[in-house]
Amino acid sequence: MEIRAHMVSAGKAEGEAVVYKGPFSFLGDLDPATGKVPVPRHKLEGQVLANKVFVFTTGKGSSGGDFAAWIAKKNGNAPAAMICLESEPVLSGAVIVTGIPTVDKPDKDVFELIQPGDHVKVDATKGTIEVVGK
Amino acid sequence: MCFSQTRKRPWHLKSTSNPDRAGPLQKKDFGDNELGSSGLSSCMHQSFVLVSISALINCHPELLIRIFETPFFYIYRQNWNEERSVTVQLTDEEKRMEAGEYGPGTQRAMELLVKYGDSFEAKLFAPISYGHISYDFCPEEFWNLMTEGVGKTLHRVTTHPSYSPEVWKKWGLSLADNWADEHQRKLKRFLELGWLRTETCAEYLLGIMPRKGDIVSMGGSCMQVANNSLFGARVDRIGVLMSLAAAVCGRTPLMGLLLPENRYASHMVELEDLDVSEWTITHYHCLGYYIGDQVPGFKPVVLNGLPRNLPFDFARALVISMPTSGSVTLGHIVGTTPEAPTLEAALGGKQPEQVIRVGKGEMTRTWERLNVWDDDVVEHVAFGCPHATIDEIGRIASLVEGKKLKSSMLIGSSAPVEALARRQGWADIIEKAGGHFQPVCPSITNPFTRPDIAGENQARSAATDSARSAHYLATVSGVKVFFGTEEECVNSAISGKWKGEIPRWK
Repeated sequence: MEIRAHMVSAGKAEGEAVVYKGPFSFLGDLDPATGKVPVPRHKLEGQVLANKVFVFTTGKGSSGGDFAAWIAKKNGNAPAAMICLESEPVLSGAVIVTGIPTVDKPDKDVFELIQPGDHVKVDATKGTIEVVGK
Repeated sequence: MCFSQTRKRPWHLKSTSNPDRAGPLQKKDFGDNELGSSGLSSCMHQSFVLVSISALINCHPELLIRIFETPFFYIYRQNWNEERSVTVQLTDEEKRMEAGEYGPGTQRAMELLVKYGDSFEAKLFAPISYGHISYDFCPEEFWNLMTEGVGKTLHRVTTHPSYSPEVWKKWGLSLADNWADEHQRKLKRFLELGWLRTETCAEYLLGIMPRKGDIVSMGGSCMQVANNSLFGARVDRIGVLMSLAAAVCGRTPLMGLLLPENRYASHMVELEDLDVSEWTITHYHCLGYYIGDQVPGFKPVVLNGLPRNLPFDFARALVISMPTSGSVTLGHIVGTTPEAPTLEAALGGKQPEQVIRVGKGEMTRTWERLNVWDDDVVEHVAFGCPHATIDEIGRIASLVEGKKLKSSMLIGSSAPVEALARRQGWADIIEKAGGHFQPVCPSITNPFTRPDIAGENQARSAATDSARSAHYLATVSGVKVFFGTEEECVNSAISGKWKGEIPRWK
């Protein structure tokens, strides 16, 4: 199944989906040394985001998000691709600066169509998301 | 890396009203080949029109864009935009930046800004009154890429809190040396650019602040929200790396909160069954942290029902906590902030999309959420998030006078405010008790709690009166955190034990 979306940052990538119906910040929500979510009591606490296709709602938090994204990317611990409902400036800047393929404004309900663990292909340049299944 | 050296772009406006364009930019949108002779003449035509009119009537291109938004120009724009895709319209000067005439750093910075502006369908860049960046909070590779070949800028650029590895070393923090060389190299380049070494997230305390309506680009979400909300400057949300690109070029995409129509609050907060008459700064931090979590995206928010002319420290604590748990970058406070003389003015005469009600339950849960600890041992106390005011330092001095601290204590403050505290005798009182001052971020790069600075001397628990600090100490340093009032924090530094309590809300 194909979902169309708006390009935030060009490129394409694929991987296993991690789904979180909430906002995300590269600074604080992703440990650049391990690629995991370090936040106590977070729904994804301890889960790996590195090299995954991360589905979430929007960006949030400190404007150091792009700095943290850069470090995570250099360490090989950034998500492979990102899909969100609506991006915001810090998140968009972070994925543009680090070159993480990212789309927003999907034309279908990604939280219904993408389940954690699904294999998902994102072609941000073309603006398409393909859910291959587990 | 994503700096394209080859990309050419047509200087076109893009139609934002075409539903077929909801998808991304296509490859053909960037190619030279598609820009045939008709396209070229058309784009030269529009460029010529904009620049000529703007020169003739001596107005900012932003005003022209507004004229072009009127129905009269609608049909003209439809023709104009037929084959367009890239959105940001560049001036001749900006084209020179993108073409590399001002060196590789400026070129890379402009390329990033163009991609960034395009992704939000911005139509123009706005010149900035001044820029605020962070050199220490910027990877050296990126810093070098952006500043390569950049000469002295005409606009002022200031900086966020910085590192002091040489001082950290004196404090016995074993990995301080790892930070020294990179800091020195970046600082040297920073000064070569003629930029100001303010080293604070609270520049307004130094008398460096925008006027109402000034367009400023700022890294640091606490700077953005404070200058937007408390002074009515026009500051959009932007990351610290992208804000370096903006400072290098002196430009930022005209979008988001720079546009007056986007500054009205869409979300309203009302307090229920809460008496704020005995609230401290910490209570306002807690309230701001709750609000930030509740407002989706970075929608402007208005707070109704707080006392008018709220003291500056309270208003500041309230707004700076919001972009920690969320992305709020503009928080109006009715009767206190410049764009909210009344609730109606803050809402722009419209009804709020959502009303968020805050009562005792919400405040208690937020206060509890900010406390992440098991035993009561306090190894460190962090103040100055955002950087301390002189009043705050005065209060802390009066609480620690004649005492000896069991925990380490760091007060994040700018050098000029620290100098004033020294003249008052307060800095000496605090240092005699065992406290320290530094123009560092006491939350994200607190040298006492960061394992990659303190090494084996890392403090494993920290107390703070700031929700923002509590959040980052827990998530970035991974230490246990005690969140409580200024007095509870000072007492915990003296005794080494946490005795803070959840407030009894009235």
